[in-house]
Amino acid sequence: MKADLRIIIDKLFTSLTGLAIASMIIALFVILGPMLYRGFGAIVFRGTVEFRKMQIAEFHHGNAEKVKQEAEKTQKVRQVVYDMIHRFRNGIDIEELENRVKDIHRNYGNELQQKDISREQYKELRDFSKEIRDKLIDTFSSDNIEKIKENIDFVLQYEMDERFVETVAIEYFTIARDFLKSSAKIDFEKRDFYAAELEELEDIILRLLGPAPDADTPMLAQKRYGATRLDQTNILFHQLFWKEKWVEQENSVALIKIENSRPEQFAGTELEPLFGYIKDNIKQMLNPKLTFYWRYFFDDSTPGHYFGGIGPEIFGTLLLTLLSMIFVIPFGVISAAYLTECTKEGPVVRIIRMCINTLAGVPSIVFGLFGMAFFVLFFIPIFGGPSQPCILAGSLTLAVLTLPVMIRASEEAIKTVPQTYKEASLALGASKFLTFVKVTLPAALPGILTGIILSLSRVAGETAPILFTAGIAIGPIPKSIFQTTRTLSYGSWDMAVSDKLAAEVPHNQFGMVVTLVLLILCLNAMAIILRARVFKKLKGH
Amino acid sequence: MKTVVIRILLVLAILASTNVMAQEKLHIEGSTTVGPIADGFAEVFSKLYPDVAITVNKSGSGTGASALIDSRCDIATMSRFMKEKEFKDAVDKGVFPVAHAIAMDGVCVVLHPSNPITALTTEQVRDIYTGKIKNWKDLGGPDLSIVVISRDTSSGTYETFESFVMNKEKMASNIEYVSTNPQMFGRVESTRSAIGYVGYGFVKSGVKAVTLNKIKPTVQTILNGQYPVSRPLYMFTNGYPKLGSMTHKFISFYLTEDGQEVIEDKGFVPVTNY
Repeated sequence: MKADLRIIIDKLFTSLTGLAIASMIIALFVILGPMLYRGFGAIVFRGTVEFRKMQIAEFHHGNAEKVKQEAEKTQKVRQVVYDMIHRFRNGIDIEELENRVKDIHRNYGNELQQKDISREQYKELRDFSKEIRDKLIDTFSSDNIEKIKENIDFVLQYEMDERFVETVAIEYFTIARDFLKSSAKIDFEKRDFYAAELEELEDIILRLLGPAPDADTPMLAQKRYGATRLDQTNILFHQLFWKEKWVEQENSVALIKIENSRPEQFAGTELEPLFGYIKDNIKQMLNPKLTFYWRYFFDDSTPGHYFGGIGPEIFGTLLLTLLSMIFVIPFGVISAAYLTECTKEGPVVRIIRMCINTLAGVPSIVFGLFGMAFFVLFFIPIFGGPSQPCILAGSLTLAVLTLPVMIRASEEAIKTVPQTYKEASLALGASKFLTFVKVTLPAALPGILTGIILSLSRVAGETAPILFTAGIAIGPIPKSIFQTTRTLSYGSWDMAVSDKLAAEVPHNQFGMVVTLVLLILCLNAMAIILRARVFKKLKGH
Repeated sequence: MKTVVIRILLVLAILASTNVMAQEKLHIEGSTTVGPIADGFAEVFSKLYPDVAITVNKSGSGTGASALIDSRCDIATMSRFMKEKEFKDAVDKGVFPVAHAIAMDGVCVVLHPSNPITALTTEQVRDIYTGKIKNWKDLGGPDLSIVVISRDTSSGTYETFESFVMNKEKMASNIEYVSTNPQMFGRVESTRSAIGYVGYGFVKSGVKAVTLNKIKPTVQTILNGQYPVSRPLYMFTNGYPKLGSMTHKFISFYLTEDGQEVIEDKGFVPVTNY
């Protein structure tokens, strides 16, 4: 009976441990899986022609000639969209039309002044132009279709008039004809409604296709291009056809979301065919192609990480991590050697050990503030360095942060070296120092490497200690260790907290985080391989 | 192993020795709210003056102030005005902070779009945050208990909201705190009964900004101070910078048309109007 129970409990224990491991693996997949998937979206995606234009203009990557041809080809298809909107706008934007005819009148006057004509002639022509102008302005603000027709017909009879032929005034008639055409299809009471809707529509098209070729170049790179990726294109495409709206519902106070069809809103107007055209030609307008953006790991980015890669961040992280390892390994191993080899177990050692353990529990932001107060403001200036955050100060701070881990791991490793090894060495006449360097240290190396792996992972991912000592959100790639740097961890934090635009480029956010995870994994893998090789050597194979 | 270490050391030595090229530097430190504007300006300046190394750090208004006091930065970005103590510390160290209000920001009260309420008064908002009003029903909304969300107490946005809306009354103890604008936006976007407050740039599809005392937060109402919770955003320099210096160009960029465009694109209200 007792034996049976023991077997059952044993089996239960085994299955429980198995379950724990399984759930851990599942959790790993659940957490890392989607992150990895979305992170890879930063590298492999369907890039549109806008992406290639951006790459040429901002980073000088790609075949400029080929992209130019592609851009021209897509531009031809897009022009139809711009023309349609332009024509529709002519029918509804009264203020704009008024300004334009006023401009024409002014320009016509200027042109006449250049001509060799008498004062009376000039006055007569200008008055006539003014009459046409006023007639048109009057027409624009009218909402009686009969009156509009009458007025426009009145204006158009002068189209072939010799007074206007080959002058700027000829534009009057283009505007008049366009206006008549669009106003025939428009419900005048809905003019304001159309104007507001058109603004929204134009904003979506701007984000989809980028600024029109005749528009000014925006100051910021994030506004200079349309949708660079197919996933963005699809979202905007949906918005183009469906307008989100919150409306009241029956028997509830809360509002409910519905989606109105945009083409229906413009039904019957000149803009209606636009939607069909975009639907049929969206591929030709943006030309999405499967893109493998391996330069993501090397490229610089535009401020705010809107476009580009994370090259400087990777470089900065590696530099900080390796430099801090160079500081922490000797200090850690020597301290461990002192604690295990040079002193006897006693109150002093116990106190030192307690201090080290406490240090391991100190929050990392405290190390950050300590780093700024000690290294940045005090220690580096002593040696004539600049009293400014820099990579050196950051890596020293990180070294202090990870020192306890390093000391503990090394200590344990040194302790596990069998006493007989040391005794044999000492018996052969070697000094204590020589024994430690030649016998104890090589035998303890695998354990020390474990400590290095642990500290390496911690250091690469820390944000708080470098916040005040080495990290910056924007800046050039460092040229010396006395400059500040960007890092992956700081970059991820910066993207998450500050700019609203980061939410529009989630792939970059995920890409950065996944890269950080993979970088730590790679560093660890390298250290583990090294450890395995050392282990093999020690075994004498 | 040995050779690898030696090689790494060599590379580092080279890196260290190529230090201090005669390059003009401009370091900007401070608020996470004003950070995006500094980002945008830096982007434009890196094209205009490619030789200047501009660095931007976003660690909070307070850190920006202390960095200016210690002369660790050229420009401190702040979402609040300098405190008396900071001024005193600065003058003691021979630093004379000069404020440049580069843009305006409104702190907008936001609800979930399914909430039928479109107008609140500052008193009502205060009552919600002090816990006197607990259900949307009391304000004519659906029968849902209100989920009150605030920014953490160290943020400039919180300070603005607190001084303009709370009128020295304490917020209730059971409200939820988040630490950034994007977090606040996400929290309100996903909670039907939530109320929160964000910077003007975060009022976009997904949340609904209500009118405060019948005034809708728009560019105009924030700029002329009609909207009750408006605030200027600052850049502080040590004295007025030397005319024509890079610092001067940077802090006066907001006056240009291009600077205004950048501020608008980053979701803030420019003080100029072209």
